[in-house]
Amino acid sequence: MNLLDIRNLSIELQTTNNSILAVDHVSLSMKEGEVRGLVGESGSGKSLLAQAIIGVLDERWHVHADRFHWRGKDLLRLSPEERKSIISQDVAMIFQEPMSCLDPTTTIGEQLAEAVDTEQLSGYFWQRNQQRKNAAIKLLHKVGIKHHDLCIKSYPHQLTEALCQRVMIAMALAKRPMLLIADEPTAAMETTNQGQIFRLLASLNQLKNMSILLISHDLENVTHWTNNITVMYSGQFVEAGTTKQIFTEPYHPYTRALLNSSPKANIELPVKSRLMTLPGSIPILQHLPIGCRLGPRCPRAQQACVKAPKVSNFHGHQVSCHFSLKDTY
Amino acid sequence: MAALLQVSELSKSYKLPGHWFNQKESIALEPLSFEIKAHQTLAVIGEAGSGKSTLAKLLVGAEIPSTGKIKLNGQTLNSENFKQRCQHIRMIFQDSGTTLNPSLTIKKLLDEPLKLNTNLNEKNRNQLIRETLQKVGLLTDHMNFYPHMFSGGQKQRISLARAIILKPQVIILDEALASLDPSLRSQMINLLLDLQKQMGLAYILISHNLSIVRHFSDELMVLSNGQVVEYGKTIDILKKPKHKFTQKLIMSQHFQLLHK
Ligand SMILES: Nc1ncnc2c1ncn2[C@@H]1O[C@H](COP(=O)(O)OP(=O)(O)OP(=O)(O)O)[C@@H](O)[C@H]1O
Ligand code: SF4
Ligand SMILES: [Mg+2]
Repeated sequence: MNLLDIRNLSIELQTTNNSILAVDHVSLSMKEGEVRGLVGESGSGKSLLAQAIIGVLDERWHVHADRFHWRGKDLLRLSPEERKSIISQDVAMIFQEPMSCLDPTTTIGEQLAEAVDTEQLSGYFWQRNQQRKNAAIKLLHKVGIKHHDLCIKSYPHQLTEALCQRVMIAMALAKRPMLLIADEPTAAMETTNQGQIFRLLASLNQLKNMSILLISHDLENVTHWTNNITVMYSGQFVEAGTTKQIFTEPYHPYTRALLNSSPKANIELPVKSRLMTLPGSIPILQHLPIGCRLGPRCPRAQQACVKAPKVSNFHGHQVSCHFSLKDTY
Repeated sequence: MAALLQVSELSKSYKLPGHWFNQKESIALEPLSFEIKAHQTLAVIGEAGSGKSTLAKLLVGAEIPSTGKIKLNGQTLNSENFKQRCQHIRMIFQDSGTTLNPSLTIKKLLDEPLKLNTNLNEKNRNQLIRETLQKVGLLTDHMNFYPHMFSGGQKQRISLARAIILKPQVIILDEALASLDPSLRSQMINLLLDLQKQMGLAYILISHNLSIVRHFSDELMVLSNGQVVEYGKTIDILKKPKHKFTQKLIMSQHFQLLHK
């Protein structure tokens, strides 16, 4: 059974004189214990989609979906409050900038203790404070922080980015979520530290069977850590499949272009030769092309592309393109 | 071909606060030497605090070295000929796209270094600005735009235009490619490679991304704790890394020279 099943989710930004479709009919599903990468370049709507899932977008944004199931339950039939309480119980998110999400005036220990679920505490109320403290320490151990004494007494600005990110993950774990959404968890980090965070997430996935939605703007960065990948471009669904399918036989011209342009995926390229690139740049939200938004940059574009393509499904490998590369392999 | 940039026994240490009879020093960079020829790229890798940025600052003259010499075209650079150095060694930072002064048009942004470092008249300066914008793939019409009217990749091009407008010989790229989106990054790499061919530029690439280092550089220097621990042909070092740090970095990026 799917943990999460979202069909054709759209997010519209309501401005005074018009509305902008920032996320345009994107589908996403997650199984239990799955690690899925959500990949797309800056501004493709990854963070918006994640925020729509956990329901933290403000009222300027309108979210529609044809289907929004969580563990088989149809969340669209519930009131926003009911939906929110279900989601906030089972889904946790770490946000793009860890520093800005921690309260600068409170110590890490207090913030962690506060995040601990009251339901997990047993015993009398006078024992609760101590229990919370112990739970907080346990959480820090779980994310690989051994010197908890120092960490607990620190304020966020006294910690490095990588440590803050670990603390954020610890807080997310406090609720024992079934799904963890990690929005660019390693964006501001050095590669050696990035590896640590990815390994931590991988071990949580294996030991706790926690599903993870790993958001990144760089395809080659996440391929090692994911089972499946969903690719977005400029708010539209591009392609989804297993990591291997995406990496070795992408069906969509955009995914193909991403791989062609990467020196990592093209190790046989002569040193200092030019890389393949798509011309132009990502459209801005105020001037989106009609139909397939890749159109003006796409090498395979034809007349038909002024109408948005429908998603085709080939044994679980989904692609949204009128002229997919499927038959070229 | 003679070396364009020769660095010998360059080092930097900072005095820590303390009494004069008990003063300690912290060494940011142990004496190091290297050479770069025109058309060549030297990549520098190392963990945070290993001295990469110190090296960059010494080369552009933002810091004064404790010991050592920097020679450009055989001529020693010192703090007196700072202007000359500014002209020949330029630097692009990681977020230089976002640090462009928002209240100046592109024309003014590019005119600034010309006014400071050359004696060209307005007509010639404008001509040069037009040429440079074309070189980095922008339009001459963009002259009257403000930075906020550009996308991230275009802003990065503007900071590149700013760096090359003085016709430098050496450009230091301090993680300048790190935060770019993949499709912008490959466009930028192509642009830098083209400019190197056209203008004979030498690059010093400070980067963490080994695939980019492999693709883009001829030689590689690995710094650890302010010391050079490996230095040689990029391909040789990546094939047979000797130092622990290099090995760790290669492991952490699952970097492979051949796809199997
Ligand atoms: N608060 C906001 N007001 C107006 N537009 C917004 C807002 N937040 C996001 N957007 C726009 O919505 C689009 C999608 O943004 P989103 O943050 O989801 O992108 P992203 O894929 O997460 O990008 P990044 O990789 O840079 O984090 C972008 O064009 C962005 O400019
Ligand atoms: S639908 Fe057309 S424009 Fe869009 S990716 Fe496919 S071929 Fe290109
Ligand atoms: Mg985001």
